[in-house]
Amino acid sequence: MIIKCQDPDVCVVTGLVELAAANATQVRDEIRAALPPACTRLDLDFSTVTFVDSIGLGALIALHKTLRSRLGTLRLLQPAPDVRQVLEMTRLHHLLELIP
Amino acid sequence: MKTDTAGITRCDHRCSLRIETACDFVSVRTATLKVREWLAGKGMAEAELGAWELALVEGANNAVKYAPPDARQFPVIIEVSCGGSDVEVQITDHTAGFDWPAEIKTPVDEAESGRGLFLMQSLTDSVFYLRHPGRNVLVMRRARLSTMSAVLPDISQLQSRLAESEASLTDMTAELASSYESLVAVFRYSAELGTQTDVKDFSHRLLRDLVQIAEADSAVLRLLSSDGKKLETLLVLPENTPLPAVVLAGQVTSVEINAARNRQDIWFDSREPLAKDDPLRAVMPVGNGICHPFQVVDQPVGTVALGRLAADRPFTAAQVNLLHTFIDFLAIQIVNARLLDERTAAHVTSRELQIAADIQRSLLPGKIPACPPFALACACQNALQVGGDFYDLIPAGGDAALLVIADVMGKGVPAALFAAVLRSTIRSMPQLFSRPGELLAAANRTLFPDLSRVDMFITTQVVYLNGRQKEMISATAGHCPLLVWTPGEAGASPCREGGFPLGIESEVVYPQTVVSLPPGALAMMYTDGLSETRNVAGEMLGEQKLRALLAQAGAQTGDVGVAKQFMLQQISHHAGPAALTDDQTLILIRHIQ
Repeated sequence: MIIKCQDPDVCVVTGLVELAAANATQVRDEIRAALPPACTRLDLDFSTVTFVDSIGLGALIALHKTLRSRLGTLRLLQPAPDVRQVLEMTRLHHLLELIP
Repeated sequence: MKTDTAGITRCDHRCSLRIETACDFVSVRTATLKVREWLAGKGMAEAELGAWELALVEGANNAVKYAPPDARQFPVIIEVSCGGSDVEVQITDHTAGFDWPAEIKTPVDEAESGRGLFLMQSLTDSVFYLRHPGRNVLVMRRARLSTMSAVLPDISQLQSRLAESEASLTDMTAELASSYESLVAVFRYSAELGTQTDVKDFSHRLLRDLVQIAEADSAVLRLLSSDGKKLETLLVLPENTPLPAVVLAGQVTSVEINAARNRQDIWFDSREPLAKDDPLRAVMPVGNGICHPFQVVDQPVGTVALGRLAADRPFTAAQVNLLHTFIDFLAIQIVNARLLDERTAAHVTSRELQIAADIQRSLLPGKIPACPPFALACACQNALQVGGDFYDLIPAGGDAALLVIADVMGKGVPAALFAAVLRSTIRSMPQLFSRPGELLAAANRTLFPDLSRVDMFITTQVVYLNGRQKEMISATAGHCPLLVWTPGEAGASPCREGGFPLGIESEVVYPQTVVSLPPGALAMMYTDGLSETRNVAGEMLGEQKLRALLAQAGAQTGDVGVAKQFMLQQISHHAGPAALTDDQTLILIRHIQ
């Protein structure tokens, strides 16, 4: 997983393959630690993510809350159909911003 | 069964996979990927694979997440069974378990947890969570989609799938046969419900069928004893294995007792075997099994244990359901039989009371003998149960009569029979009628052996009434005193002389008393049912009140019949709505002026 914060207010996370029980807590904590204080937009590149479970969804919601507390946004970029289906099934597509 | 790779086995019929994995998130994730790969090899469509992968991960994650630290040493077991039309996954965990919610809703949007159960339910057709002591099994089932949409396999895959289909068909045929067998048995037992069937025979047939259909090797059926303290052995299969009853409050560790106490199924196997002192070990020393307690309308009835010798083949959910269904039939039949027994016993008792009542009625005199200047009136009211009261009025020739009143201890047929014997004994000794004391002594001598043998006795009073001599001679054997009222007195006087009741001692001397009954006087012989009449508050009428009532009756009327009605009305007035608890018998003697 690579976290890049080129802009002070935008961070992009790439290289995620799975967001599940085995790594979700670690991913959440590492991203939170890397976020600059001024960051108000977090983009997770989800085009490479092949699997998300309910614990992974919990980590996404935790990150969403972190960004919202800064009046910012969490965006999931290009989630694969399978992953999008899980987000829709659990109605999180209403809460999280899916691009596209 | 043959082994494909480590941990993966293929059954002869339905394809199955079993993986034991360490209890941590990384290991269970690796295991779920293996399952996905295995299912892909069965030609499963990509969409189904994704659904199963996520459902499996959610189930396995819970097995890890909620396992207490000391249970993490036990593996999480994933078993997959893949047929032609469906897939079943079982995940065995060692958590404290939980009750699967009746309704699962999507958690509120911002909740960070609580979506696992929702996903499992959404991704599969049915989910069960079976709780057992020390382990629980999550069962998920989902029908397979048509494989037409799957990528076309090559020839070898087609051949492999054909073989699997054949195996699935064989498997389904076996399942159908088993279902058919179960249904036939269920219909047969349904037809027997409510009919008069020997419970042991019914239980034997049912247990044999159950063992065969559920592919068990042994079974033990126990019923709770009537005092509720023991589980008594009714049947053991295989037969001829002696198995003593187990005491519920005993020291022995017994799954049957635990199951009966907690009203929960208990499973046992090589990992959680029966305790060394568990009596069930005599029948099920190895393998695995289940003990099921059963009850009807919340009343415990008994337990049934099914055992299987093969340790690695636990009873399936379908087989456990079958056990529950069969035992429901058995419980109903057992309760029906008990109700039938109670009804028969009640019928026998009612018939016995009818016989006793008939005997008692036959003992009463047909008509009142004439012995002027004395006039007689009598009444005998029976309580609900037939008692031992009786009276007799025997003409003794020449305006004389012998009056007999008696109360045999006890009720029912024995009391009625002894009353009949006393009546015959007295009637067989007319030469002693004028000497009532000797008459009672002779009757006691005759009846003593029979009465003492059954620990019964009779209180009785005889009065020889001689019209010509205008004399009355009485003798009493443990009976209520003769009450005599003479005009001008405020209350009647008791004549208390007497001896033991008949049947207490073999030789008794009964004093006889010549009682003066002047013109206008009124005397009463009675049984204790009269003086012991209670009202609803439990207050007894008592002898004093009875004596006052007799004086009142004597003063109010010269007609003995009217005096009798007065006495009965007053006694009934005292009792009020309270039910009659004992027979009430009286004989009134009036010296007509």
